[in-house]
Amino acid sequence: MCKNPHQSNPSHFQGSAEEAMTASTVEETFEQYIKGMKFFDPHVHMTARTTDDYQALADAGVVAIIEPAFWLGQPRTGLSSFKDYFATLVGWERFRSSQFGIKHYCTIGLNSREANNEALAEEVMEILPLFLQKEGVVGVGEIGFDDQTALEEKYYRAQLELAKEMGLPVQVHTPHRDKKKGTERSMAIALEHGLDPHMVIIDHNNEETVKSVLDQGFYAAFTIYPFTKMGNERMVEIVKQYGPSMIMINSAADWGISDPLAIPKTAALMKMKGISDEDIRLVTYQNALDAFAQSGQIKESDFIHGMEIDQSLKFNGNTVLRGGQAPRVNKNSLIIR
Amino acid sequence: MNISESLFQALSTQCQPKELDWLKEKSAKDTNSLSLSFVMVPRFIEKQELENEVLSQAASILPDWNWNGWTLDRLARVYLLSLCQERELSREEYIKKINLLFDTAELNESVALYSAIPVFAYPEAWMNRATDAVRSNVGLIFDAIAFGNPYPKQYFSELAWNQLVLKCIFNDKPIHQIEGLAERNNEALVQTLVDFAHERWAANRRVPSQVWRLIVPYLNQKILPDIEKLIHSDLASDRLAAALVLAQSTLPEAKKLAEKYKNELPVVPNDAWGALEKPEPIYQPA
Repeated sequence: MCKNPHQSNPSHFQGSAEEAMTASTVEETFEQYIKGMKFFDPHVHMTARTTDDYQALADAGVVAIIEPAFWLGQPRTGLSSFKDYFATLVGWERFRSSQFGIKHYCTIGLNSREANNEALAEEVMEILPLFLQKEGVVGVGEIGFDDQTALEEKYYRAQLELAKEMGLPVQVHTPHRDKKKGTERSMAIALEHGLDPHMVIIDHNNEETVKSVLDQGFYAAFTIYPFTKMGNERMVEIVKQYGPSMIMINSAADWGISDPLAIPKTAALMKMKGISDEDIRLVTYQNALDAFAQSGQIKESDFIHGMEIDQSLKFNGNTVLRGGQAPRVNKNSLIIR
Repeated sequence: MNISESLFQALSTQCQPKELDWLKEKSAKDTNSLSLSFVMVPRFIEKQELENEVLSQAASILPDWNWNGWTLDRLARVYLLSLCQERELSREEYIKKINLLFDTAELNESVALYSAIPVFAYPEAWMNRATDAVRSNVGLIFDAIAFGNPYPKQYFSELAWNQLVLKCIFNDKPIHQIEGLAERNNEALVQTLVDFAHERWAANRRVPSQVWRLIVPYLNQKILPDIEKLIHSDLASDRLAAALVLAQSTLPEAKKLAEKYKNELPVVPNDAWGALEKPEPIYQPA
């Protein structure tokens, strides 16, 4: 199948032979490259992940995350499913995350796929404002285009208005198929509705979309996700080319084959490839924080020194299991006690 | 002063003038605005832990009410909720309104709602909510109904009460924070606790030492060997629990057992169970 072995696949390592060698030896110990770094993942679907992932995130230095509302892999059939899902994002998942010392925020919205069920979409639109006002809801998201249908456009526009009205940032999903046109269209509509591009985070960018997004003043988010989105070697090249300003990285880890450690791993790769610590900090932490803190719902002091700062969680001083930090299980231990 | 006025007075002890102005302005609005204000509280009220001067007002507003561990925004939310019942709503409208808040609550809102159950109108209407909170795996929600909250003591059935105490022990939380622990103690609970302790022992685990305080009024010859086992425990806290049970029990055989082990048993302190009123996590983080 591979007719020309010399033509490099874009996901293959693009550095020098020496770098390739280093990469293969550090794969097992990438953590040593990111010691002391803190990360903010502005797009990760934790409801689809296990507690092992939370543990791994905490160990790798991820201190805060944003969980955008999305679909569940199959369409919902009633309003109650939406309501319970939104309530989970601001309730149970928030608590689950706090057990691992990770501050959990979310964005709430009607995703593009399910915007195609008009009757249900109308009902969902009615309850959105209720959830968008909640503490720790940092934006409207993830919304935008998938198939780029008329209904997707209708509810994208309606939710942009909602975001404007409530002064919230918008997290825009860009389509997998016909991405370039879909991204341009998403930005044009946002500008048409009078949104400040600084309040809009255009997600799932690639080499083809990034320039226009940055040129028009939007935040450009990159999803490091195997196969369908960005690989992290490509990401390093983008940061080298465009610099760190207005760029953020996320994992978008969900129920698909994805990697919740995408940010720490990419940071390690950036470090190896000579990107400065400050630039790494900007694209893996600060820019996401700045973008979503425009909601007025993020207090860095709640998580930067660990979650114990959050007084509302410091209950009875005794909250061990199901109350505070969960006990750690030694994964290599054969004996389970 | 009614409850809302007392709550406002408590808030005014700690709130900044700007915060009080916001609360005053919102208090005057209709129920729909109150619900919205309830959601918006953290944008206007600081998340500070309550000062002692505020904490000391709780029990005078409602007997057995304890705001230990509360923050100012939570108290403000409970205050706004207390105003709802002063509005002209039918029973049905009122319950519907509050239920909507429960159904769409964010984590801190849930905590405030369960904390406010004792001031809601139609107390019997909140039984399912309260027992749901006992079933909750969210520690903060469990704590809001279990600790410092007068509602379970007053309204829970024996079955619901016993679940509350058991779940508390099961969740590794100290039982002395439950209001009405002694008053609502019962023989069925004690029997279940003894069974539970045996299960834990079989698994090489233990129960927190202060749990044994519940045994005292129902100590019998069948339970006595368990107390004797505690006397031989490696843990000073278990040995102290054994000494306290034997000293407080009126069972003649308890006196005999205390006499038999008088050299091994620790001296019973003046504050009785006080030294054991602490968290004793069974599942220690590695």
